[in-house]
Amino acid sequence: MKKYLLLLTLLSYSVAETYTFLVKPYHKEIELEAKIISEIAHASLGTEVKLFIPNISEIEKEVYAAHFTLSQTCEASNFVFVNKTVEHESLCGTSNRLFFTNNYRKLLSDKTYYGALFWNKSRPNIVFIQKRLEANRITLPQAFAPFVENF
Amino acid sequence: MRIFIVILLCVHSLLAHTLDSLLQEYKQTSDNSLQTVNEKLGHVIIYSQKEIRLMQYHKLNDILKELPMFNVNTNRFGLTSHSLTGSKTTTSGFFRFFINDHEISSTYDQSASLSWGDLPLDFVDHIEIYYGESSFSLGNDTGIYFVRIYTKSATKENGSELNALLSSNGSHSQSFTHSQSFENGWSYLLFFNHDRIIKTTDYNAQTLNANGEKKYFYLDANNERTRVNVGYTDTAKNNYAGLAFDAAPENGEITSKDFFIHYSHLFLEDKSLKTNFSVDINHRKYEEANAQGIALIPVLDFTNLGLTIPKAFYEDLRFVKTNAYVSKSFDTEDNSFLTALNVQNKTYHVSDRETINFANQTNVAGAYNNFDNETTSSLLFQDHYQLSDTLILTANAKFDRYERNGSFQDFSENLFRIGAIYTPFEHFGLKTFYTETALPPSFYTMDYANPSTPDLKSQQYRFYTIEAVFTMGESKFSVDYNHVLIDDFLYLTPIGFINIDHTIKSEGFIFDYEYSFSERDKLHLNYYTSNLSEQINNSTKGGYVKFMGGFDKIDYFASIIYKNAYRYFDVHVPQSFNASLGATYHASKDLSYSIKATNIFDNSTQSLYAQGIGGTNFALDDTDRSVMVSFRWVF
Repeated sequence: MKKYLLLLTLLSYSVAETYTFLVKPYHKEIELEAKIISEIAHASLGTEVKLFIPNISEIEKEVYAAHFTLSQTCEASNFVFVNKTVEHESLCGTSNRLFFTNNYRKLLSDKTYYGALFWNKSRPNIVFIQKRLEANRITLPQAFAPFVENF
Repeated sequence: MRIFIVILLCVHSLLAHTLDSLLQEYKQTSDNSLQTVNEKLGHVIIYSQKEIRLMQYHKLNDILKELPMFNVNTNRFGLTSHSLTGSKTTTSGFFRFFINDHEISSTYDQSASLSWGDLPLDFVDHIEIYYGESSFSLGNDTGIYFVRIYTKSATKENGSELNALLSSNGSHSQSFTHSQSFENGWSYLLFFNHDRIIKTTDYNAQTLNANGEKKYFYLDANNERTRVNVGYTDTAKNNYAGLAFDAAPENGEITSKDFFIHYSHLFLEDKSLKTNFSVDINHRKYEEANAQGIALIPVLDFTNLGLTIPKAFYEDLRFVKTNAYVSKSFDTEDNSFLTALNVQNKTYHVSDRETINFANQTNVAGAYNNFDNETTSSLLFQDHYQLSDTLILTANAKFDRYERNGSFQDFSENLFRIGAIYTPFEHFGLKTFYTETALPPSFYTMDYANPSTPDLKSQQYRFYTIEAVFTMGESKFSVDYNHVLIDDFLYLTPIGFINIDHTIKSEGFIFDYEYSFSERDKLHLNYYTSNLSEQINNSTKGGYVKFMGGFDKIDYFASIIYKNAYRYFDVHVPQSFNASLGATYHASKDLSYSIKATNIFDNSTQSLYAQGIGGTNFALDDTDRSVMVSFRWVF
């Protein structure tokens, strides 16, 4: 029994999150952002997600590739996550694809986007706009209801 | 059908749980504040947003006072002074302080104490403290400890926050922070603070006081490539012991207004070309009156003390620092190379400086010497080479050219550093650096130079450090060893600064252990010991125990900071145990109330002072026992 307990203890140690030196670039925030976008995109589309991020950085490419099939162009994608400043004209059309943003003001002013992942009062938030969900014929799981707003 | 509905409900509940828990984890990860740490800059200690909140660190000095190999004292002007272990300095140039990318140390004396020492942390996200030389990467003035203060992210705050604090000693503080993000990618964070500071100490049947007011303003406006920072601080306070011969001036005041603007921009698609441009303007005034005389070294003529000892002194000074920096990095699979050019100009203008002697004669002292302009040009090279999966080698070189006006000579300094980070196992790592750097004399040290050696030389530092870290589960244990050799150390004798004519040696160990019981609960132990080849005039050993945690709507912490006893000539300074306790009640996600008791045993650290020039030494407490209540409201 003692051996098992020791083994279990060692096992729990081996999965712990402490680190010696952070010599590699720290990706955990981007990883979590990618996981959240993955949950949203898969629940919204219900099919394989082909993700396009305009002006994607090398680190984002590396992290997001673990959760999505990354698309090289906006036209070849079915889910576009705009997390940087881009000219609206540089994006492709809305037919057959969904647009998501990390900017709440952009969500309010631009009907292209049906939802946003953004920070407010130092907490991360998710908002979907009901009318735009309907316009895009998106049926989100009931569990997403707390994140849907009617305005 | 029922089974299907149950499964569906379970899946939905799992999805919601997943999204909620992911958001929670996202927030926790952000609060751990690991996104900016750069292990290659030196040996680093991180004070995360979570720790700043749980431990109720309200001011920058709350953090600095517990650092290993570091002493925080009160100087003659009632300002905090930061000294290396074993030594006490009135103002020191060993430490560099940055808010974001901007260095905030004084142009006059290289110390950040007067303007920024009591910096409130309400707008600060996290702090990184490096034992290492910052100027190799950042191009700034040289130093061997540096403190990087990162302000909260405007895009993450995206709201307003009100903080207020009231202390039992009468001090109080109010802060307002506001941030907003725009559709075009720009965001800004604004911070205003007002502090009423009460600091009094009884000495020789008199009360010394450093009471005063401070105001802070800070603006951070940025988008993906451009950042503009504006800082302003306004300080007006009494001068505590001042320069009075009897260490008890009849009256005296220090005022300082410090302004800076810092602009940085990243060019090229990979943001590898970086430019910084900044201007700092500091306007400071000092006045003192004392019937027993004022020990103002630069105006004293030791052959005619009767007519040169002032009984009143006034000065009005203005300093301007302009800095331009450009760097280019080149990254390959194994190599990360950076080269940079930095040019800095400092000017020193005496608007007024006069003394009144005991014959009631007013003497316009003006500038103490003709050195009032310095231009420093620096060329930097840095390379990080990934030799294998487990070994990274680093190398830095910096060439500084100092051009000074007046009768002082121009000079050059060649600095370099080599280091390695070796992580042979996931749970064990080693990090080591060898550094050679030079700390040139400031306007202040040249003003207060011993008249027989006016052209002071740079202090030459050679030091090596090694750190071993072992992690196991939620435990982390580290040992640091450092060995420092200093040539031409700048030392303030009773009649002015001199370069010490022999090599000063210091070495020490730091032992650190932390254990996380859960995401919120953590125990942290630290102990350090050091020795110095000279007579010590400050603690050489110290440590702390701190515990922080939370349950439901309550956060709590307890800490005790130890500094050892020492003797300086006939003064015995006892050991200090500074104990603090605190709790925070979160009434809602946006509103919290806190209470904190500090120096519970009334057993503060003490600082050494001397009467007159080389007169009697004495020690005074650095801090009082106090209880603070505060609230934080986010809206």
